[in-house]
Amino acid sequence: MREEISETTTTLFNRYVKKWKDGGGKVVGYTCTYVPEEIIYAAGMLPFRLRGIEATSTSIGDTYYGPVICSFPKCVLQLAGEGKYKFLDGAVICNGCDSMRRLDECWRKASEDYEGILPSWFYYYGVPHKVADYSLKWFVEETKRLIDSLEAHFGVKITDDDLKKAISVYNKGRTLLKRLDGLRIMDEVPISGADALAVIIAGTAIPRDEYNKLLEELLEELEESKERITGKKRLLLGGSVNDDVSLVELIEETDAIVVADTLCFGSRSYVDLIEEDGDPLVAICKRYLTHSFCPRMFGYYKERFRFLKERAEKAKVDGVILQNIRFCDLHGSENGIFERDLEAAGIPCMRMEREYGPLVETGRIKMRIDAFLERIS
Amino acid sequence: MRSVLREYNYNWRLWNIVHNAAKICDGSDKEYREAIRFAPDFNKALDAMISLGEPGVLTLKAIDGYLEDILTAHEKGKKLALITYNFSPAILHAFDVVPMGLEQITGLYTTIWQKGIAELLDYCCEVGFTETSCSGQRVALGPILAGVGTMPDFILYSTAGICDSNANAFAFASAYLDLPSCQMNYPPTLIDERATEYHREDFKYMIAFLEEYTGKKLDVDRLKDICEEIIKQDELINELQELQRLIPNPEPGLYNLLLYSIKIFFSGIKDGTEILEAMLKIARENAAKGIAGNGHERARGLFFYIDHYCTELKYWGWLRDNGISHIGTMMTDFWQADAPYAKGREDEGYIIDTKNLDTMIDSLAAQTSRLPMVKQIRGPYDAPHMWLDDTVGVAKLMNADFLAYMGTMGCRNTWGMVKPAARDLEKLGFPTLILYGDAFDDRVESIDALINRIDEFLTVRRIRK
Repeated sequence: MREEISETTTTLFNRYVKKWKDGGGKVVGYTCTYVPEEIIYAAGMLPFRLRGIEATSTSIGDTYYGPVICSFPKCVLQLAGEGKYKFLDGAVICNGCDSMRRLDECWRKASEDYEGILPSWFYYYGVPHKVADYSLKWFVEETKRLIDSLEAHFGVKITDDDLKKAISVYNKGRTLLKRLDGLRIMDEVPISGADALAVIIAGTAIPRDEYNKLLEELLEELEESKERITGKKRLLLGGSVNDDVSLVELIEETDAIVVADTLCFGSRSYVDLIEEDGDPLVAICKRYLTHSFCPRMFGYYKERFRFLKERAEKAKVDGVILQNIRFCDLHGSENGIFERDLEAAGIPCMRMEREYGPLVETGRIKMRIDAFLERIS
Repeated sequence: MRSVLREYNYNWRLWNIVHNAAKICDGSDKEYREAIRFAPDFNKALDAMISLGEPGVLTLKAIDGYLEDILTAHEKGKKLALITYNFSPAILHAFDVVPMGLEQITGLYTTIWQKGIAELLDYCCEVGFTETSCSGQRVALGPILAGVGTMPDFILYSTAGICDSNANAFAFASAYLDLPSCQMNYPPTLIDERATEYHREDFKYMIAFLEEYTGKKLDVDRLKDICEEIIKQDELINELQELQRLIPNPEPGLYNLLLYSIKIFFSGIKDGTEILEAMLKIARENAAKGIAGNGHERARGLFFYIDHYCTELKYWGWLRDNGISHIGTMMTDFWQADAPYAKGREDEGYIIDTKNLDTMIDSLAAQTSRLPMVKQIRGPYDAPHMWLDDTVGVAKLMNADFLAYMGTMGCRNTWGMVKPAARDLEKLGFPTLILYGDAFDDRVESIDALINRIDEFLTVRRIRK
């Protein structure tokens, strides 16, 4: 894997962000795939998805959050408290889930104790949990407010043309990632699941124009490459937020390869494109409200199951691993029904609860994966 | 779940216990004392309720009827809706649909059923629902998922945007049982025109769902009767809460439990109104005599989230015996515009207007969007009209000596913000305690440990008078 892409998966302030900042660019963090990156891009800024990598403790996270909260936002808060997000000029917190949305208060309150950790522009963005004409209307208005606030704070202007350009650039990136999907599901796979995840994650931490170029080059290399991975058990990885490449590496240390995913740091972020005709703001909101659903959108189990099953079948997987971070009840519970329905459809499935962060549970996870592979052999 | 536990319908078992308990209230005192021995699981909680006098007895009888309605809904040709406590059942009565409140029934199990709750909670985990989910739903959901509870026809929930854990339980049940469901969803703001329109449209969406799954049109005359009953109930609740401001508080602590039980079990129906009238009669008498409802008052506590509902209601008994006046929870704030705590903040409240169908729908949409939790924890806790504003407002109004938080281990939303909230409340001068027990699952922290924490807090902070 290319070093520069690899670096973005393990380092927050990576070379691209540094270069962007050195050139006077602004960086705006966001928490979730329900925040439209296109808006930040159209404002001439770098959208940067907040992550918890590099956290080695949750001492600050635990000070503001209660005890029964997912370790992902705790790690994000930890890094913020340690000053590692000081390169951000702004941040958008959205109600992806209850743990994540309370990052708003916890970060603001932590900034009373840790000076200078709160970006100068800090915005709470409310995304509906259902799809209806009135929820779309709300979402369009909410996004207009987001734009107004960005413009007012940073002294920029976002035009329809800016939005159209952003849509086109991001659609191009998504289309390229779908091409990567096509390579991953081949019988002889030119890229490991860990490397593929690194490539996808890089898109959340590199300026998109540059990313698209890198991705095009990489895809050409992969398409021409003679190196192929064969003879391994083919797996799909689904469930909670996962930006930890080492989890996939751990899975692939066994006799397996991850050839598909349904993660929000993975395929759920790019499988749906934005319509390029019509009002660009409405098109963006439509796509973000209806794109392949996270269980934060209540009541869409059948749609999610269809998506999961189709991806599993298309990738000809031997099994599915559904993981969830402890206290992520949305994914954790749905994984329970997925398991029932996947097994009924003849697709072996394993559920696994884990903690986010440095892989302190390596032995346990490896043992479970080994047992699962033995079962499906 | 062990096969021995699967032999009878759980709703039937629960109803039987309540039904028999309600009957023993009709005898003489001697008969009551003899009979209560035969409710070994339940006698302390039962005695606590009946010792309230007429309000307690009426509540027991009304719950008896509530459970019977659930059991007999299908044989009477009625639809049964599984709902959450953050949803007013009033609209269902206008469709002649029988409500089955999930958390309401959980509360009954945890109060009454001392020997079997763990199995019910854990059954959900057996079928894939996470053990970290909220106990408030898991207890009553267990038998339904296991096929040994009364099966609803459809599911209505109104906590998307408010509480993920709650909404997720209903979404899970709908997917697991393949039942039709309707979610109501709330934006993070409350009183702006956008939010009002969203509430209205969402309420109409829910009515359309009810029309589809009942095959009936909304009965406007019936709705009007229900709305008028809500108005009556709200007036009674306002006076009861006004009386709670007195020092000493003339109302027993358990009145708070009854207040919100009425709203979540009996909103808009006469059973609820009768209980409130009986409560008010006693409260007025105590107030006139200057008597504390608990017998004495040494401190006034505002439990600014929810209460504790298991282990024979021991928490309530301890508060009573120790002279701690329970002056409310988030659960007792319904935000009718003329409520004592809404003074000066009337725009945050709701008014029931029965002029025509549209005004009634708007009124009920506004009411539903201001239900406990739905109002306070939809947005950042320190945003206008939210948790901090409401807690401080009620604490000042009620002359709280201390504040205490209690929730469930599944409450991601409040556990995500209660520490900074408590810090803000302390800064504002309110001694604030965070309790780590679980309202419905006393395996998380024993009731004795929980009580010790409150006791120690009151001692260390020198709160008791």
